[in-house]
Order: sequence, then C-alpha cells, then structure tokens
Amino acid sequence: MHTQVPTALQTAQTRALRTGTPHAASGKFRLTKTALTSFLLGLYFITPWLRWTRAGESAQAVIVDIPARRFYLFGMEFWPPDLPLLLGLLIFSAATLFFVTAYFGRVWCGFTCPQTVWTDLFFGVDRRIDQRFGRDSALGQAIKSALHMLIAVLTAFTFTGYFIDITHLGGQLATGIAPAAAYVSLGVLTFTTYVFAAHTRENICLHMCPWPRFQSALLDSETLVVTYQSWRGDPRARARVPLRPDLLDIGNDGPPAAHSYLAGSDAYRGDCVDCGRCVSSCPTRIDIRDGLQLGCIGCGLCIDACNTVMDRLDRPHGLIKLGTEMPAEPSMATAKRTRPRILRIKPMMFASVMLVSGSAMAVALANRSNVDASLEHQRQPPFVKMSDGSIRNDYALRFTHRGDDIASVAVTVEGLPGAAVRLSTSDEPSPAFICNRRSLSERVMVTVPMHSAPQGRVPVTVVLTERTTNAPLARLETYFWGPGGAQ
Amino acid sequence: MAEHRYDPVTGQYTTGHSWDGIEELYTPLPRWWVITLVISFIIAIIYAALYPGWPTTRFAFAGLLGWTSAGQLAEEQAEARSEQAHWRNQIAAKSVSEIEQSDELRTFAITGGRALFNQNCAACHGSGAGGQQGQFPSLIDDDWLWGGKIDDVYQTIAHGIRNEDPESRQSEMPAFAEMLSPEEIAAVAEYVATLSDASKADSRKALPGAEVFANNCAGCHGENGEGMREMGAPRLADQIWLYGDGKDAVARQVAHPRMGMMPAWKPRLGDDAVKMLAVYVHSLGGGEK
Repeated sequence: MHTQVPTALQTAQTRALRTGTPHAASGKFRLTKTALTSFLLGLYFITPWLRWTRAGESAQAVIVDIPARRFYLFGMEFWPPDLPLLLGLLIFSAATLFFVTAYFGRVWCGFTCPQTVWTDLFFGVDRRIDQRFGRDSALGQAIKSALHMLIAVLTAFTFTGYFIDITHLGGQLATGIAPAAAYVSLGVLTFTTYVFAAHTRENICLHMCPWPRFQSALLDSETLVVTYQSWRGDPRARARVPLRPDLLDIGNDGPPAAHSYLAGSDAYRGDCVDCGRCVSSCPTRIDIRDGLQLGCIGCGLCIDACNTVMDRLDRPHGLIKLGTEMPAEPSMATAKRTRPRILRIKPMMFASVMLVSGSAMAVALANRSNVDASLEHQRQPPFVKMSDGSIRNDYALRFTHRGDDIASVAVTVEGLPGAAVRLSTSDEPSPAFICNRRSLSERVMVTVPMHSAPQGRVPVTVVLTERTTNAPLARLETYFWGPGGAQ
Repeated sequence: MAEHRYDPVTGQYTTGHSWDGIEELYTPLPRWWVITLVISFIIAIIYAALYPGWPTTRFAFAGLLGWTSAGQLAEEQAEARSEQAHWRNQIAAKSVSEIEQSDELRTFAITGGRALFNQNCAACHGSGAGGQQGQFPSLIDDDWLWGGKIDDVYQTIAHGIRNEDPESRQSEMPAFAEMLSPEEIAAVAEYVATLSDASKADSRKALPGAEVFANNCAGCHGENGEGMREMGAPRLADQIWLYGDGKDAVARQVAHPRMGMMPAWKPRLGDDAVKMLAVYVHSLGGGEK
C-alpha cells in the first residue's frame, strides 16, 4: 500500500526539522511581497534623508524635534496641542486595519508588519549566504551574523535619525556629543532589531504578538484567507499513486457540477503529493493544510510554492489559494461557493468608523489654527491701584504661532469702557508686540480710570489681531477685577 | 545522611528524615531564588562598605566613597551654576539697564528674578509683588518711595532701607506728637487728606492745616505734597496710601510715624542675583524709564 511509503514531508519530520530559513518560493505572492518589502524598507531608510526648506534654511523634511516639541512633516508643522489629530489618525488606522482584515485576512501581517518586513529581509540575506557558502559553513554563519548586526545598526541609526538631524547624527555619535537619548535609542533599536529579526523571527508572531489572537473576531465566513482545497487535495499520497479520476477535468474554480467524490479510497490520491513545499516555504513554519490557524500570517508564499509544484505535475493552480475558509468536511456544495459578497456587515461597520474618524481628522486638520494663545489673570493682587486712582489688572499672555506670516499683533480689550492696554515690553501707545519669536509670553496690563472702574468682577474679552491686515487671531475670555464687590 | 526516598502518594522525593514515622517532602528553595538572595547579600555588604551607615558611640563610618547628601547637593548646585555661567557672567559684567536692553539677558534675568523674588521677597511684598496695605509697599504700581527707575530699584534692593548697610536708604520722619498739639495734628491731617483731590486745590488753602503743613511737612513732602524720593518721603497728592487714607489714618501717621525697613540683599544674594531681581521687579508694570 502506498501509505506505507513515507512522503517527502513525513521523511523530513522524522529527521531534525529545517533550520530558520524557509525555502524560497516564486510566484505572484513572492513578487508582491518583495515589492512591498523593498518599498517599505526604502521608505524607512530614505525618508530621513529628504530635505525641506523651512524658514529659509534647509532642514530635514520629516523629523520629530523632541526638545522643541515639534513634529515636522514636509511643509506641515505639528505642535503638542495637535495631539488629538494623532488620536484620530490612530483610530483611522485601526479601523483601516480591521477593514482590510475583514476582506483579505491578515495581509497586514503577511506583507507590511515591520516584524514581517525585517524578517523577510533577514531571510533573504540568510538564503544568499547559504547559497554562496553552504548551510553548514562556519564562515557563512559569521558573515550572516555580521550582516545581521550591520542591518540592525543601520535600522537603529535611521530610527534615531527621525529625531535628530540625520546628516549630523553620525558625526555627533562618533564624537560623543550626541544626546544620551540618541545612544540609548541606537542601542535599544540595534538590540531589538538583531534579536527580533535575526533570532526570534516568526516566534514573535506565534508567541508574542496579540494581533493573531483576535483574528477570529475580525474574520467572517466570506473573508479571503489562504486555504488548502481539501476537496481536491485529499487523500494525500506520493505522486506515483494514481490521481483520482474525478479530478482529471477540473478547472481552477472548483469541481464541475457532475462530479462524485471518491471518499475513503486508498487506490487513488488527490492533487496533494505531500511534498511539504507549502510547509518548508512558510515563514511561520505552519502546515496550511490543517486549515486556518493562528500561525498563518496570510502572506501566500505557500500558494506560490504549491503552484510551482502543480506546474511540475502539470496540474492546474489553486490547490492552495486565496479563498473563503473551507469547512472541515468538504462537500461539493460548499466548495463551489459563489464569490464572496462585497457588502457585508462587519467590514461595512469598520468602513463607517474609518469614514467618521477620517473625515473628523480631515476637518480638524483643515481648520487647524496657526495661533495658540492663552491669557491668565494675575490674581495676586486682584487689581493694582495707581497714583491717579485708576485701576489696573495684569494678565500673563502666552502666544505661539506656526506660520511666518504674522509680523505684529495688536492687543485690544472689549467690554470695558475707557480701558487702556499696555505691554510690559512696549511703550507704544497702540499696544502691539512684534512676533520675532514664534513663542513668547508677555505681561498685559489693562487700566481703567478711577471713576469708570467696575465694582467687583466683570467679564472682558482680550482680542488679538494681526496689526497690518487686521485679521483676527484670537479672542480670549477673561475678567477684570475692580475695587469693591466681593473679593 | 538520610537517603531521599520516593513518595508514591505525592510523586515527590522526601528528605529522608523521619520523626516518629513522619517524613518531610524534599522541596528545596528554587535555585534562582537562593542565588538572588546571595547576590543581594553581597550587594548589601558592598553598599555598606561604600556608603556611610555604621554609627558608633564616638564617630560614624563615612564610607569608602566619602559620599554625603550635602556633598551631592553642593555638587549639583555647582553643576547648575556652571551651566548658568554663560548668562551669569554677562549679568555680572553688565549694568542693569544694559541687561534690560538685551532681549536674551532680559529673559534670563526675569526668569531667574522671579524665582529669587518668590524665595526672598514674596514673604513681605507678596507673590504677585502687590505689597500689603499698612505694611509693605506694592511694587507693581507707579508710586515709588525711593524711585522707580531701574537703577533706583537696583540700589534699593542691593542696600536696603534703614538698615546697618552704610549705603542703605536712610531717612526718618519725626514723631510730631511731641512737637505739635493734638489740634494742629488734626488740622494738618484734614489738610493732607484733601491733597489727592484736585477739585479741592483752591479751597484747601483756607484750611487751618495749610500753615502747619507748610511749616512742618513741606520740607520733605513738598509744598503740594509731591513727595521727595531722595528722602523716601512719599507723595501725598496721589491715591496710594500705604498706611491708610483718610484723616484719622493720616493723623496717626503724623503723630507716631511708621517707616518701613528692608534688609540689604547684595551681601546675602550677591550682585548678579540683585541685578536679576531688579530687572524682574522693574518689569512688573510700575517700572519707570
């Protein structure tokens, strides 16, 4: 009987299993993955080197300036008060992730997750070294480790370069004048990259990552996932066992209607010859033929591997394919399912979250004010009596603006007849201050004559306008405290 | 040494000890736990050797590192000072008006001056420098006993008022209770109380106190009560009355004057700190150019 002759995979399993590097696959999934990996790595490594002219000087286009608490993204500048935008972005990103997952399974894991991208890069390095020096060469292992470390250092350096101008970073690090945080960041990122991408690799996905744990909550029965078409593949046996006659005339889309399944027959095999290619090419080392599982990151490399084998056997593609999940007991009815519906409740709910958070973020971004101003009444003392009996209240004004378009700001008071405004740094009769700095604090003094001073506390509004264009910048609600009244 | 015996009920080994047939399961402390304990012993011994902590009746062991918390404070203060040296040196080298001219130095001086003010001055003058009625003058109004220009403010802070410092502001208002009759004091108080009311400029001349004022007070406070800053004699023709306004308050002040005093701050804080304080106080809204 053929079942007593071990298949390739069974033979492999009796020996020690393969080491870390999975077999290379080739096909459209591999091509897509290579393209995406290259693009994302390129994006990561090149972005900090892009320059942008800011305030007349060449500066790094994308940089998080932690000491100054600024985030620059090309022409845009974000300040700490913009943090709600980040919240919106995170909600939008999460909803997008869920949305895509509901349609296509864990393509994020398979193609774009940094763990996947870096692991794929390291797999690529390992394969080339193995080809050149052989799998057991000590020299090859040494070169591998050196290259792993080099990539880890470059990764860490680039990461640090998102926070400190990368064109100066190398020199600063070498001469020891870089901030301590730069060395820490370099060390930590080197360590994590080296350990996670060179050593732990898929174990991160299998044992550490929380994302696979709730994939079942995100998928539905019509999600496209990587599936082994067991109606076609089983029973598995070596290639010399004759193929089930009912499979001779199938296409890629499922069995023909008039078709009977020869279940329980030992005399024939299905399309799966148990070559083990799908397992050996899997980055997480799972057997997709066991069905949808936590370890499947949806990269489709097993599809490529299997299709290559099908070509060799002169059988149609699609023994493993991107399809809806197969039930445990395959039947003709479920196998020949119609195409998945586009409009389904789960992804549509995620889409609505995307729509709401995305549009809220867009509106917030469009209406973002370039000015941030606050006014604080100096309550100690509540008011100052001047020589001529007039009453003065003092306020601490903090003013910041992003743009370069404000030259001078005028400060006026509404709601207080006879009030005169003065600034501690300016003697000008019409109060204004020059914003040569983008952030400043100023003492604003509002004085009213003795006889028009209010009793107790009255609300007033301090108005900031651009001095030349008269454009309103901010209206700050505060109060004015006069003598008498409750103190 | 007793032998470990396998105990089939629990599936564990025993220590082999037996007391009246009662045996004990062999469950030693985990190896990692023991190692951790030993390491912490070693750390404790090293720590006790390096740092102070062993008192005797006559002295205390100072530790091999010679570390003290006061020493650490001094070190950190020296470090902070050396970080500020760039600014402090400029502050020390320049006059207060030059400091005010420089945008950078002014910002540094106001920031440092605010901290110094809260530590040293706020107890009397208030955290907002608003003073205290009847006790300490406001520093944010436009009335200055000894002058409100930046150099005047600096001089007052550096040397103080009515203290032992040879350069301190000195003056004394006599107690008129010994020189004037109660009726004259009442009359001059009524007169002084009208000085700040411009509408009574003509009518007040007829008051009986006018002559008393001209003979006794005008020498320091001025003919029209404009005050004299060289003497620290307050202006009487304004709305600001440190020791209270109205006839009665003025009469009390004439009879038994209260006069403020202030310590000299230069010997305590150093010249650069006084300069920063002067710039800060001058920025509070009452500063004169």
